[in-house]
Amino acid sequence: MSETGTRGSAFLTKMSQFSKEYMAIIAILIMSVVFTLTSPYFLTWENWKNILLQTSTVSVAAMGQAIVLLTGNFDLSLGRNVAFTSCLGAILMKSTALSPNIWNPWVVILIMLAMGTLIGLCNGVLTAYAGLPAFIATLGLQNVCYGLAKLITNATPIATFPNSIAFFGRRYFGPMPWCVLIMIGLYILAQFLSTKTRLGRNIYAVGGGKEAAFFSGINVKKYTCLGFVIAGFLASFSGVILMSRLNSVAITNGQGYEFDAVIGSIIGGVSLAGGKGKIIGTLFGSIFLITLFNGMAQLHVDPFVQDVLKGFVLLAAIGLDVFRNRKRA
Amino acid sequence: MDKDYILEIEGLSKGFPGVQALDKVSFNVERGTIHALVGENGAGKSTLIKILAGIYRADAGNVTLNGQAIAFKTPHEARVAGISVVHQEMKLAEPLSVAENLFVGGILTGRGNLVDWKEMRRRAKEIIDNLGVEIDVRAPVDSLTVAKKQIVEVCRAVNMNCKLMIMDEPSATLTDRELEILFGIAKKLRGEGITIIYISHRLDEIFNLADNVTVLRDGLMVNTVPVRDVTKRRLISMMVGRELGLEYPKEAAQIGDVLLEVKNLVRNGVLHDISFNVRQGEVLGISGLVGSGRTELARAILGIDKIDSGEVYVRGKKKLYRSFREAIKDGLGLIPEDRKTQGLVQIFSVKRNICMVSLDKIIKKGIVSARLEQQYGEEYAKKLRIMTPSMNTQVQYLSGGNQQKVVVTKWMMQNSEILFMDEPTRGIDVGAKTEIYHLINDLVKQGKTVIMISSEMPEILGMCDRIVILHEGKMVGELMRDEATQERIMEKCV
Repeated sequence: MSETGTRGSAFLTKMSQFSKEYMAIIAILIMSVVFTLTSPYFLTWENWKNILLQTSTVSVAAMGQAIVLLTGNFDLSLGRNVAFTSCLGAILMKSTALSPNIWNPWVVILIMLAMGTLIGLCNGVLTAYAGLPAFIATLGLQNVCYGLAKLITNATPIATFPNSIAFFGRRYFGPMPWCVLIMIGLYILAQFLSTKTRLGRNIYAVGGGKEAAFFSGINVKKYTCLGFVIAGFLASFSGVILMSRLNSVAITNGQGYEFDAVIGSIIGGVSLAGGKGKIIGTLFGSIFLITLFNGMAQLHVDPFVQDVLKGFVLLAAIGLDVFRNRKRA
Repeated sequence: MDKDYILEIEGLSKGFPGVQALDKVSFNVERGTIHALVGENGAGKSTLIKILAGIYRADAGNVTLNGQAIAFKTPHEARVAGISVVHQEMKLAEPLSVAENLFVGGILTGRGNLVDWKEMRRRAKEIIDNLGVEIDVRAPVDSLTVAKKQIVEVCRAVNMNCKLMIMDEPSATLTDRELEILFGIAKKLRGEGITIIYISHRLDEIFNLADNVTVLRDGLMVNTVPVRDVTKRRLISMMVGRELGLEYPKEAAQIGDVLLEVKNLVRNGVLHDISFNVRQGEVLGISGLVGSGRTELARAILGIDKIDSGEVYVRGKKKLYRSFREAIKDGLGLIPEDRKTQGLVQIFSVKRNICMVSLDKIIKKGIVSARLEQQYGEEYAKKLRIMTPSMNTQVQYLSGGNQQKVVVTKWMMQNSEILFMDEPTRGIDVGAKTEIYHLINDLVKQGKTVIMISSEMPEILGMCDRIVILHEGKMVGELMRDEATQERIMEKCV
């Protein structure tokens, strides 16, 4: 064996490892080059700020999905959780029937987050403790949330909120919107917690091998449930940012986020099979998704066609995950 | 004299990234014989079978079946050519009936293309009766015992007109009595002209059953010899490439106080009035047929399953564990039966698996220390001689023996005082087995207690100080080491 040969192959292994873990970043770069060549507007700060702003809501919900995926489950209620919690917040702040102005916006935000977390808890209890398939439990909660959102708003959009909540979506720190910084902060925190704490370790263990986790003394039900709880919290957090950024709320808020979140997670390297992937990857996966649609919009691709394409991207992402897992086995 | 070979293998090679699984292996199998294939884990047996069964394709070499060169591209082609594999892990459609399973892939149809149930059941019954066993062809497969499932697999192969049957470690999950039935079946099939390639880790079986034996080691062919020309010791040394000492290296430890005592333990319908105790430094064996309540007893004591009545005392104090976690915190541990799914997270690294039970030890101020994790991993890998390229290698890439050592390590790191081991040496090779036995010696010498559940009678006899025998959830006997024999245990088991 020549030494250069082994060193060369080590380099290749490293590169292939890198490309597997940071496939999303590579994809973003390639796509950016293409869109830069086709649209003069693409590579402007205005446009990138826009991409990051849009990412800040999707990616926070996607982080929740990534955590649920890590436990080996799936949350279909995330998008409607965003809708319901933001509608709830809007009603509490605006409705005359509830005698306005008694609700401090900060209190409202806390209530929204509490409600989101509660929805997550319902998903968790139904899945982990009652033993329902996650698909059924979260599909049920998805409908409950959507129904409640329609019920409390009468399906009418609500706009203009007190200035104090503008911080989450419309205020800037230097050139950077606060919500983007919050998103980055949340991701750094989640990445740290998921790799460096008992909570994170056990979430990975439960997803990586439920039985092995149980026979190592890990409370499988508790950590499965916690995954959903955290996801519920993050979905409502995404709802807060969305409400603040748009300064208006409608029942269509967050629609389809659960699928965007799956695309973002898988492209970011998180596996549908559970226990594998980095949470931070989901951030890049989400940026990829938003960039793709941003670029297509600039190329004037029909929005309906974009929807169809999104479906294909979801299928492609899942296909990729299946392929990755099969190669391993 | 020219012999009649059904299968001729010549220069067969197969490589995977990083391993040469088979390296120019050549041997022949005589028609109508039982041909044993032995070797340690990683010797290349599985790869060889997978090539014969059309799952892998060889890199080089020739395989000739009935004088015709073969190179199957799919398992289906192999089956059509008359090669069937009876797998270690059963590949049956569990909710379907026995009859349906026999005809999977070729459901019989009668008039109007409808399923001809009557004929299917009749033929299924004929095949099963012919083997001299009793199985209801209408019963769903998941209602059968492991042993009967295995027989159903054999029957399916027979039904597919199999000429060469490969039995891949069928004995790993069977008790001695079930084995005898299986041996009877194998011999009967041989009598009917079916050739059998039999793979096993238990060498005793090979002497009972096989005509010839081929030994593989590290992907190389060591030798093919008639079984009557070798001794067990010689076979072992061929497999491991060195002479092994005593097969069961039992060393007596200082026996101390009673660590665990069970009084009148009942779990309705599963365990009936079980009482025993174990002392410090003792290895207690739990023997019995599969389904006699051995694993269930461990689960009940460890707080995994509920106890309906009775008491458990640990170090003289009455305990009722509400969860397995509580039992672990109190110094109990379990090496579970199924290494692959219960013992390890396959996609996790060696060090991550090692630290799974005692995560506390690597958490400082709430934060997992990567340095400590690496340190513990390396320390135990060295102590237990775990062969792994690195601490970051996923355990799924380790051999069975090394995987099992990782499982043992989890509990050594936790420093568990009372350790249950459920089939601790199932499916691992001779060398690794001996290493596990040495680990058991080390544990009891440190004043710990090992409770060993095993279907391998010689292992129980060879390693335990005392043996408790279960039958249908009842305790039917207790034997000291010096009074226990295979016969005495067997007569209580049945």
